[in-house]
Amino acid sequence: MQDALIRKLESFEELTDADREALRAFVPRLRQVPARTDLIKEGDVPGNVHLILDGYACRYKMLPDGQRQIMAFFVPGDFCDLNVFILDQMDHAIGTISPCTAVEIPRQAIEEMTSHHPRVTRALMWCTLVDGAVLREWLVNIGSRQSGQRIAHLFCELLLRLDAVGRVKDNSYAFPFTQTDVAEALGLSDVQVSRTLRELRGLELITLKYRVLTILDAEQLKAYCGFNPNYLHLRNTRWSGRRQVPWLSSVQGG
Amino acid sequence: MGQDNVEILVVLQPISVDTASPDEVGMLVIANGLLVAVLVRLDAPEHERRGAWYMEVRLGRLAKVRAPVFDTLEDATRWVRQRLKN
Repeated sequence: MQDALIRKLESFEELTDADREALRAFVPRLRQVPARTDLIKEGDVPGNVHLILDGYACRYKMLPDGQRQIMAFFVPGDFCDLNVFILDQMDHAIGTISPCTAVEIPRQAIEEMTSHHPRVTRALMWCTLVDGAVLREWLVNIGSRQSGQRIAHLFCELLLRLDAVGRVKDNSYAFPFTQTDVAEALGLSDVQVSRTLRELRGLELITLKYRVLTILDAEQLKAYCGFNPNYLHLRNTRWSGRRQVPWLSSVQGG
Repeated sequence: MGQDNVEILVVLQPISVDTASPDEVGMLVIANGLLVAVLVRLDAPEHERRGAWYMEVRLGRLAKVRAPVFDTLEDATRWVRQRLKN
């Protein structure tokens, strides 16, 4: 299981044998978490760093009127809260969307690691920087794109992020999100999401069946929402050689 | 002053609405002579609550609150009246 973590970090930084050995010495606590369950709640004292190995999770806040705002989706290979353990308490919650396998890494282990392994530290900083970049793009998405483009943009992003960790097959990926999840992530109403999905289906850009999203025409979907994958910084990772997203190279080349 | 005792008159006026979807049947919601909202019936088969009424547009004081989807026009009218009273 530690190998998944090592693979993730190695996509950002080349690690030495000593780095890898140190990472293997982590005694990660594997947790099987049911769907719709909090890994950590707002107000909790953050003690462990959570890494998702399987399933989807999200970062969210509850508003006083009961509305939930989702600020991030986590997919396999994502740290939920890499640096949050430095803070005294959680200012948001992290909960699963689908059943998840998560690793809990104690904060001492992270602190120990970062004081002795600079390359690992830099890889962890990479993760944090990319998370920040994704958050910025979500801000742009919610602030400046119409509902159709907003949802299409999320679909493009998930396609790339999931493909990078080998979770895309034939342009299809697991889509356990409800219309309400999508609405809460994108600042839309359920009705707007429902109408937009209808529109994207009508344009023959996607199908969504049995909780699997298929992107029928990635090139068109990307053009539809003006998707630019630069914020995912995938070219800077060592995934590039193994990647098979036909339209990614054309976007980056142009 | 005495506002609480004044009944708010809510009138619905049928209107067709362009929602870029099959949801076209709508109602202008007029409270004491002012347009305060537009309701649209959810007719597209994709909707989880087909046949219910969605508040497509909220104006003025109604814009500050989140609106549920209403089973009936009576529910919607009651909700509008309550929100405008408070």
